[in-house]
Amino acid sequence: MTYLAVAYFGMLVAIALWTYTVVQRSRRLNQRLEALEVAMSGRFENE
Amino acid sequence: MKQKVGEGLLFIGFTGIASTLLLALLWAPSVSIDAFESPAAQRIFYWHVPAAWAAFIAFGALFIGSAGWLFKRSEVMWRLHTAGAEAGLATGLMTVWSGCVWGAAEWGTPWDWTDVRLNTFGLLTLLAIYLVLGRASQPDGVETRDTFAAFGLYGFVLVPITYVATRIWSIRHPGPVVGTGDDGSINGDMGLVLLVGAISFTVFIIGHIMNSMRVTLLEQRLEQLQANMDKVI
Repeated sequence: MTYLAVAYFGMLVAIALWTYTVVQRSRRLNQRLEALEVAMSGRFENE
Repeated sequence: MKQKVGEGLLFIGFTGIASTLLLALLWAPSVSIDAFESPAAQRIFYWHVPAAWAAFIAFGALFIGSAGWLFKRSEVMWRLHTAGAEAGLATGLMTVWSGCVWGAAEWGTPWDWTDVRLNTFGLLTLLAIYLVLGRASQPDGVETRDTFAAFGLYGFVLVPITYVATRIWSIRHPGPVVGTGDDGSINGDMGLVLLVGAISFTVFIIGHIMNSMRVTLLEQRLEQLQANMDKVI
């Protein structure tokens, strides 16, 4: 039963990490996009 | 709004999956000692079967996305293709890993190269690995997309083969326990845990597909913005 609990726990950690990665990728890209849009609008305003 | 829905579904699905594992380990009735070499390991079934179900949903999304890109040249369908490949990789690896853990305990070997279902499902997971890694390493373009979409389209043929494999070739993988036409071989409590697992994995995979589609959309927007910026500079 112990090896099974370890295997289960390992799978749960793996799926948690994967889920976290997917969400973080989306948030990071969102931030980069917003920063780029701000930079571009600032540049056009200066011109 | 869509981002919040996708993340919410991912979280609800993940919580359901964790609950399924707890129910499987602590609450689901044990199987007959005579029926299995390792009755404790049988509990992995409550993770393995729903994960495989979710993988089939993901590969279905991959098929629809691939066909949609090849025949309609739809950007939404391309995003569905990439999301299906990523979600298929996640759930495919979960299914293969849990199957190997069970096989090692029950059969004494994690893999049987003569079993049709094991090998066709393994090929499906390899296809998902190829599509995810290939897209990450190749520049985006119509030719690249066509190649990957063709693999996604024709690779789907492995899904029905995998589904019917244990009905046609009874080699080592156990046969179906639900949808067999008769009452099946699992009792009410076992069926309930399996149902909780199936619903949780379905919610999780829908959330995953929505999130992955959004990631691809953001990547495309970012590339477009950077290209525009390069033109201005």
